[in-house]
This record gives sequence, C-alpha cells and structure tokens, in this order.
Amino acid sequence: MNKSKNKTLNRKIISSSASVIISLSLVLFVVGLLSLALINAQKLSNYIKENIGFSIMLKENTNQFEVKKFNKSVDAMPFTKSTTFVSKDAATSELESDLGEEFVDFLGFNPILASIDVKLNPDYSNNDSLSVISNNLIKNSLVHEIYYQKNLISRINNNVKKLSLFLITFCIILFFIAFALINNTIRLSVYSKRFLIKTMRLVGAQNSFIQKPFILDGLYQGMYSAIFAIFMLMGSIQLVQAETASLLNITDLKIIGLVFILIFIIGIILSSLSTYFAVKKFINVSESELYN
Amino acid sequence: MNNQIIKLEGVSIDHLDHNVLDNINLSIKKGEFTYLIGDTGSGKTSLVKSLYAEIKVSAGNINIINYNLNKITKKDIPMLRRKIGIVFQDFQLLTDRTIRENLEFVLKSTGWKNKKDIDLRIDQVLKKVHLKDSKEKMPYQLSGGEQQRAAIARAILNKPEIILADEPTGNLDPYISQKIIDLLKEINLTGTTVLIATHDYEVIKNNKSRIIKCSNKNLQEISIEEL
Repeated sequence: MNKSKNKTLNRKIISSSASVIISLSLVLFVVGLLSLALINAQKLSNYIKENIGFSIMLKENTNQFEVKKFNKSVDAMPFTKSTTFVSKDAATSELESDLGEEFVDFLGFNPILASIDVKLNPDYSNNDSLSVISNNLIKNSLVHEIYYQKNLISRINNNVKKLSLFLITFCIILFFIAFALINNTIRLSVYSKRFLIKTMRLVGAQNSFIQKPFILDGLYQGMYSAIFAIFMLMGSIQLVQAETASLLNITDLKIIGLVFILIFIIGIILSSLSTYFAVKKFINVSESELYN
Repeated sequence: MNNQIIKLEGVSIDHLDHNVLDNINLSIKKGEFTYLIGDTGSGKTSLVKSLYAEIKVSAGNINIINYNLNKITKKDIPMLRRKIGIVFQDFQLLTDRTIRENLEFVLKSTGWKNKKDIDLRIDQVLKKVHLKDSKEKMPYQLSGGEQQRAAIARAILNKPEIILADEPTGNLDPYISQKIIDLLKEINLTGTTVLIATHDYEVIKNNKSRIIKCSNKNLQEISIEEL
C-alpha cells in the first residue's frame, strides 16, 4: 500500500509540472521586482530632488549672532530639508584648494562671501517655488544675494518627470507581459492534457468535477511559485541592500511584506483563474478542434 | 419507446460538412446484441458518436434510453453518458493514473462517495474482466487486450443499460479479439444492450448476431450470409 502511495506521490510531484512552477516563479519574481521599483520610484525621485538647493550669500561683516539666528529661522522654514553654514574662511580655502593657487594674495582682497547652503524639500524643488523663496529671503538685511542654477533645476525636474513616466509605462507593459506569460504557460500545460479532459467528459463526468482537480493543481502551482519567487526576491534584496540603502526603501519591512503578500495573492489568483479558463475551453471544444 | 432502447427516425448525420448518413431509420431493442458494420468512412463512428451526443444530427429524431438527443441540453449530456458504457478502439484510458484510479474517477464523478463501496465495485468489475491483479498498474504497463478489458470494466462500472463499442477489436489480434467479444457477450447475457461498430468480419462470423450495414449513406439489415 505504501509503495503504491509513494508511486502516486512521485507521479503527482512530477506531473505537478516543475516547468510550470519554474516559469511562474520567474514571472512572479519579475512582478515582485517591478512592484518594489514602483513603490520606490517616489523615493528615488525625492532623493534626486532633495539634492537640489540654493545658496544664500551673506553680506560682508555681518554679526555672527544674527547670522546664527537667521540660519535657524531658515532651518525652520517648510521648504528647508537641511542647511549648512559655510564661513568666509572655509569657502576661501575650499576655492583655493580647487584652483590650486592663493587668489587672495593675487587679487589683494578676498571677494568670497560667507553663505548658507540650503537643500530643499522635494515639493519645493522647482523654479517657481525657488523664485518666491528667493524674493522673500532677499528682503532680509543680512542677505547679499540668492544663488541657484535655474536651468539645472528645470532640467532635473524634467528628467525626473520623464524617468517616472518611463518607469510607470515600463512597469505596466511588463505587468501585462507577465500576466500573458503566466496564462500562456498554464494554457500549454492544460493543452497537453486535453485528451484526458475529453476522456473524462466521455465517461460522464460533469464539468465542475473535471475542473476541480485542475484548479486545485493550479492553486498549488501558484502557491509554490509564489514561495519560490519570494525567496528569490529576498535573495535579491539582500544582494542590493548595501548598495542602495540610502536610495531605496527596501529595508522597510512593511513595504517588503506588502510586496510578498501581493506576489502570493497574484500567484494563486492568476494561476487558478488561468487554469479555470483553460480547462473550460478544452471541455467545450469539439473533437476536431482538439487535433488543431 | 416501449422495448426500444435506440430509435432513429429520418436521421441525417454530417461529418466535417460532409453528409455521411442520410435519412436513416434504426431501432434496437433492450438486451439486443447488434453489429454495425461498413467500410471505413461509411459513417459507423459518426453514428455511434451521435448516440452518445458527441455530435449533433443534422436532421431527424434520435432517441436513446428515453433521452431525445434533439432536445438534450449540455447539462444533461453527462447524465446520459452515465447510462451508456462507451468502449473505444484506442481504449482512451486516463494515462496519468492506475487502472484502479481510472475506475475510481468514473465512480466518484458519477456520485459514488463511500470508499468501501467504491473499492468493492472496482474489485467486482476487474474480476469480471479478469484484471484483478493489474489493479495498480498504469495503462502503459498493460497489453492492448488488457487495456481494452480495462476499458470494458470502466464501461460497465455503473451497470449501463447499453454498451456502445466503437471498433473494440480494431487494435487487437484475432485471439484477443475473440476474448473481448466473449466478454461483451457475457455482459449482454446480463441484459445489457450491446452495439458494436466493427469491420472485423471474422469476429462477426464466429459470433452470430443481428447485423446492420452502413453503405451509401444508408443503413440496411443483412444476414451473416450476405457478409
């Protein structure tokens, strides 16, 4: 009895179509990667925008106390992500090291001004906001000039927009390809059993009775594939984590958990639904169509 | 229908848009053992297929076991097939499971639930076709004759009122063919109607019974001497 059970089990394992599970796992893995990329696309865009900023050039001979007070007030403003005070001496020595010569001796005076470098919150990283911010700040008696690269900012914003649009379009197309691949793989697997389905019909089995074991198989295949895909995603996350820790949100357990649940649900639903429709199709086809 | 289990009136059957039988009449009584003969392409298989509602007739009335096949719905087809035992030339066993599982599938799909009853019925039919020792074998492990006997066991599981056998000896040698016919005759003796489509005239000569011939799109009853 045990021998026969083992034989049945072995046969079932083989017939559970390892190839279907491998194909499904790979497709679900790609879906998982895309989901992570989509979820992190906003973070990536913010990361780029947070590097956009401007410099507040301070007037000569300003009171250090007033500068500190002004710096604090800028820090507290809603558009500010972070500020860095660069003193006249620090800015001078940085420029001298860049130029490789002591230009103060050459000029006979130091034209460099102390400044506050401001990094913006992503929502304010555009020329319109910067123009308003600049007009308000310039009214302060300590401020000599507000400096930012208009062209660079508009180019960065345009590129971020284009990149986001491209990523979303790419993801949508790849999602469709993934679904089509899953459906096709399962259809092929059911197609190979079309004559068994025909025999089942001929011996008087009802459609639901024929469909049930196929759908159960599909459900298990979806489940195993999702589990394999999740393991592959975990491996990939481990691999890229160190490189992208500051850039992507892949250490966020909530996001990872959400993606894993999504993969599991997509795997089961897609696999079962595709199986249901494929079996239904072959139950209803005529004998001559079976040979086409 | 009274005593008639099959009744065809003015039936025409098309196969792939080609008319194979035209305006035929046929009546088979309960418990009869009938041969349906004819050349290849004469319409034997199409007629058998129309009897288990696999193909629709293009004209006429067709009745089998109190089912009017002109009016049968898709939902009722499985019910009809449970009352018919079908045997094919190429056996059509479920190749992915053992003989026991093949039989179990039929019983479960036709509403049998009790494991003991299922096992008992499987043992009964396998004993009848002398395949009890091959219960756990896969179809590919059996010879052609054994596979056909397994197919007959499957056909008689639900004690059908009629067995439709389409070329049941077509793939078998004369000795095994005779064994299969003996088995079908044995089943016929229990009251089951048997209709065999065949072109194996040796089998017919050795086992005399009613003969219907398909030729020129028509059906004609002939005697053994006319073969």
